[in-house]
Amino acid sequence: MSEGVYVAGAGAIPWGKRPETTQLAMAIEALNAAFLDAGIGWEGIEGLVAASSRFEGGMGWGLHANEILQAVSERAISCINVGGACAAGAIAFNTAYSMIASGQHDSVAVIGAERMPKGFIPRPPGSQDDISDSDFLRWVTMGATNPAYWALEAQRRRYDFGTSDETLARASVLMRSNAAANPYARFRDPLTIEEVLASPMVADPLHLLQICPVSDGAAAVVLGSRKFAEGTGRPLVEVAGCAIGSGQFGDPARRIPTISNTVLEGVAHTSEVTTSVKRAMEMASVDLPDIDVLEMADNTSWHLLAWPELFGFVEPGQSDWMINNGRFAINGDLALNPSGGFLSFGEATTAQAVLQVCELVWQLRGEAVGRQVTGARVGMSAVLGLAGNGGSIVLKR
Amino acid sequence: MTGDMPSTLEAFNPVVEGLMVQTEAGPRLMGTRCLGCHMTYFPSSTTCRNPACGSDTVESTQLSLVGTLYSYTVQHYQPPPLFRNDDWQPYAIGVVEFPEKVRVMGMLSGIALDDIAIGERYVLALSDLVKDADGKQVHTHAFTPESQGTPSE
Ligand SMILES: [Zn+2]
Repeated sequence: MSEGVYVAGAGAIPWGKRPETTQLAMAIEALNAAFLDAGIGWEGIEGLVAASSRFEGGMGWGLHANEILQAVSERAISCINVGGACAAGAIAFNTAYSMIASGQHDSVAVIGAERMPKGFIPRPPGSQDDISDSDFLRWVTMGATNPAYWALEAQRRRYDFGTSDETLARASVLMRSNAAANPYARFRDPLTIEEVLASPMVADPLHLLQICPVSDGAAAVVLGSRKFAEGTGRPLVEVAGCAIGSGQFGDPARRIPTISNTVLEGVAHTSEVTTSVKRAMEMASVDLPDIDVLEMADNTSWHLLAWPELFGFVEPGQSDWMINNGRFAINGDLALNPSGGFLSFGEATTAQAVLQVCELVWQLRGEAVGRQVTGARVGMSAVLGLAGNGGSIVLKR
Repeated sequence: MTGDMPSTLEAFNPVVEGLMVQTEAGPRLMGTRCLGCHMTYFPSSTTCRNPACGSDTVESTQLSLVGTLYSYTVQHYQPPPLFRNDDWQPYAIGVVEFPEKVRVMGMLSGIALDDIAIGERYVLALSDLVKDADGKQVHTHAFTPESQGTPSE
């Protein structure tokens, strides 16, 4: 346990729309890529943790570790399936970390794979059609779409800090420019501020090109003990910290799909994520200035401005200046989503947080061709899932 | 999006039961107040979720009539079919902060989309959604600028 936990392998498939592929096939492809990276085969893992959603797979349970094994390498290992919406990948990672840190296992793989449903995501089966169900309420009483929730935050930011349309657009431009050389990103064509602002208005002030679409994708990592990681011969990347969090009472964030919240002064915004970030950093014994790369959930361009402030990298309102002056660029003060982020990938829910870890691994090893943060030594991820799920991971080389 | 008020109490026909109550002073949002820590929740809840409060006793309460617009957006795309609205067109959704420390989302009515401003005072109103099977107008809760007059007027 004192020897630590390491990322021994990372692999992903390119994000896109894959109507002809199954979720299972995508998961196997990503796992094979991670195993190849670690120089092991399926027999090399003692456990598999799957990040599951309700969209597809596992006889209705979502992506299922057992199902994957039964298809490829049917034998007795520890299979675990975890939920947590878009944060499921981070929760699965935490689970695998604990399985190794406890000394129970030497090597555990984490997999997230998702084929997103077309159009609006249907409500879960068995939902109540009454005031006890927030999702029902938000639709029937006002038809509040997910972008509307983010737009309410963005509009308030404009009021609080005078954030301009151009600054909000520049965040999208930055993500596309980061993604340009990333073979895993779905959208890699460069964008201009004019193009972003000319895209259809979805929910003021957010235009279409400031909101992440949905994609299909899969990513996997292999975690191992120090001994296991050394055995792979790959550069060592240590899991210096990882944490998951839930929402704090009084949090002012407009949390999808609720239509109301009780707000208390002094409670952190998006507390499920900020708490995770704080805990992961404490565990890693790192401070904000130590972090070279941040891979964070950018469901919209607003997130790219707000989250670095929420985590404390800059003062509230200062992200505008940072982004307008290139300080969040790949070789700026803080490299913000060198992968290109959700805006360039499109969100494949459960796979997204695992992909963040893959990108951090490639960055810390110096393998992120065309988007490499020079000399990156410490990377951090941050992700938010529906219903108050948050997660953060700190990696060190 | 119209902000038409029903002319009589009989016309009160909310889209979801338990969200609002009709009073002599007009419609009010129905919430829950904890008898232990006095926190207010909307919509109604059977529990108090304050981690610093061990009370399991809550009572029904009505939210204040007037709040402040905290933020807003205009939805330019038609939401999925669960949202039923005759004569759909782009409309505003706002967040109104009430003195009970509760921020509530709802459609904004009685104001031009270009005139909406954060920080102004809004009151609860009813907004038309659809006609039900009996031809009766179904309403949802909405917020309208206080300067437009309260629903009781
Ligand atoms: Zn209480």
